[in-house]
Amino acid sequence: MNARTPQHDNVVSQALTQIGNCGLFLLTLLAAVPRSFRYLRETTRQLWFVGAMSLTIIMVCGLFVGMVLMLQLYHVLSIFGGTSASGMVVALSVYRELGPVVTALLFAGRAGTAVTAEIGLMRATDQISAMEMMAVDPVAYVATPRFLAGLIAMPLLCCVFCAMAIFGGHLVGVTWLGIDNGTFWSNMTAQVDIHTDIVNGVLLKSLAFGAVVSLIAVFQGFTTPPTSEGVAYATTRTVVASSIAILALDFVLTAFLM
Amino acid sequence: MSQPRSSYAVGTGLFIVLGFAALAYLATQTSSVANVRQGDSYVVEAQFTNIGQLKERAPVKVAGVRVGQVQSIALKPGSDVADVKLSIEKAYDRIPQDSVATIFTSGLLGDQYVGIEYGSAKQAVAAGGLLARTRSTQPLEEMLGKFFGAGGVVDNVGGSYAVKASFTNVGTLSAGAPVKMAGVVIGSVQSVHADPVKLNADVVLSIDKRYDAIPDDSSAAVFTSGLIGSQYVAIQPGGSSDALKDGDEMILTQSALQLEDLIGKFLVNGSPSEKKDAGNGSK
Repeated sequence: MNARTPQHDNVVSQALTQIGNCGLFLLTLLAAVPRSFRYLRETTRQLWFVGAMSLTIIMVCGLFVGMVLMLQLYHVLSIFGGTSASGMVVALSVYRELGPVVTALLFAGRAGTAVTAEIGLMRATDQISAMEMMAVDPVAYVATPRFLAGLIAMPLLCCVFCAMAIFGGHLVGVTWLGIDNGTFWSNMTAQVDIHTDIVNGVLLKSLAFGAVVSLIAVFQGFTTPPTSEGVAYATTRTVVASSIAILALDFVLTAFLM
Repeated sequence: MSQPRSSYAVGTGLFIVLGFAALAYLATQTSSVANVRQGDSYVVEAQFTNIGQLKERAPVKVAGVRVGQVQSIALKPGSDVADVKLSIEKAYDRIPQDSVATIFTSGLLGDQYVGIEYGSAKQAVAAGGLLARTRSTQPLEEMLGKFFGAGGVVDNVGGSYAVKASFTNVGTLSAGAPVKMAGVVIGSVQSVHADPVKLNADVVLSIDKRYDAIPDDSSAAVFTSGLIGSQYVAIQPGGSSDALKDGDEMILTQSALQLEDLIGKFLVNGSPSEKKDAGNGSK
C-alpha cells in the first residue's frame, strides 16, 4: 500500500491505478479484520465518532427531506385528487432511494472527510510509521476499525433518517395540510413491503454505501502524500469519489434489486 | 477503562439502540408486517386459465378480509393453465370444497387478489386440496370491450393481405394496433405514415386471409377502446358484392374522434370546430 504509485500522465490510467489500489486495499482491510478484534474498543470509539456524532445532521436532514417531499407531492397529487396516497409515496421514495442515497452523501461529507483527514495527518506526522516501529499493525489498528464502524453506522443512520423523514412527512401532511391520519398510515402500510422496501431498500443499499464510503475515506487517508496540501486534496477526493460511487452504485443496486 | 472511553461506549450503545429502534419503527409502523407474517397455514391449489397481473404474495380474501396469500404461481406442466398455490391461515380451515376462487382487481387500476366465495358443500377443502371452481381474471380491455363493442385476441394463422386507407387524423394510432370487424380482431395495423403530397395519414392494414370477403366499399374508422384505452381501426362492412383484395385502398374512412371534441359536443351541444371527416378519404 505504501508503495509510491508510478506517475502517469494519462488521466484514465491514473484513475484505473487508483481503483486497482483501492481494491487491493480492501483485501488488506478484510484480511486485517480478525486481527482488529483485539482493538474492539477502538472500533467502538470510531462508531461513536462516525455514527453517534452524525446523528444530529442525519436527523435534521431527514426531517426536512420528508417535509419537503410531502409538500411537493401534496401539490402534485392534489391535481389528480390523490392526496391520500402522498404518505405512501413519501415512504416508498424515502425507503427505496432518498434515504440510503442522501444518508450516504451526508455520511461522506460528515464522517468520510474527517476519517481521511485524521488518517492523512497521522501519516503526515509519522504516527503511522511510529506504530509500525512499535509492532502495531496500522491497518488493523487505524484502518479496519474505521472501516467497520462505517459499515455498522450507515444502516443505523439510514434507519434514523427514514424514520425522521416519515415523521416530517406526517408533520406536514397530517398536521399542516390536513390529510386524514388514518388514511396516511393505512395507505403506507398497505403498500410498503418489508422485504423489497425495508430490507432491500433501506438496509442493503445503506450497507453497500457504508462499505464504499468508508473504504474510499480510509484508502484516501492511507495513500495521501504526507503533506498538508496532500491531506487537503485527499479530503476533497474522498467527497468527490464517494459521491460518484454512491450514485453509480445506487443505479446498479436498484437495477438488480428491483 | 478510563472515564472518557466508557462514555464513548455508552454513547455508541445509545446510538445502536436508537438505530435499531428506528428500524423497528419502520418495520412495524410503516410497512405491512401483517402481510408477511406467516402463521400456521395450509396450502390449497387453484387453477386459472388467465391470472392477469396476479403476483406471488398477493392477498387471498374471503368477503374482502385477508385470510392468506398467494404462495406460488406456475404453469401446470403439459397444459396451458396456471397452477396457483394459495397459502391460507389455519384459522380459516372451513372453506367449503365447492367454493369459487376468483381473481379480482382492487379498484379500477389496483393490484389483483384472489377472492374466495364460499360454496355450500358440507366438506371443507383439505390441505393440499384443489379448489376446482375458479374464475379467471377479466382483463379490463375485455370488460370495456363488452361495453364499447371491442375486444378479442389477435390470431394470425392463415397469412394476411394488406389494404390501404387514408385518414385525415389517426389520433394516437400506431403500428401493431388491432383491426376489428364487428368487434372481433381480424388483423393489425402494419404501418402509419404521413403522405407528403396529400397531407394525410396513410395507414396500411394487414388483414387475416380468412376474412377475404369484406366488401370493397366498407369503411374504416379509428376508434378508441374505452375511455383511456388504445386506438384501433374498425371496419364497417359495406354492401358491394366485390371483395377487398391485397393492395386495395379503402375509400370511406372516418378519422379518430378526439375525446376533447366529443366531450365538447356534449357540453356545448355541438362544438364550434365541428368537422365531418366521414367520407373524405381520397383516391
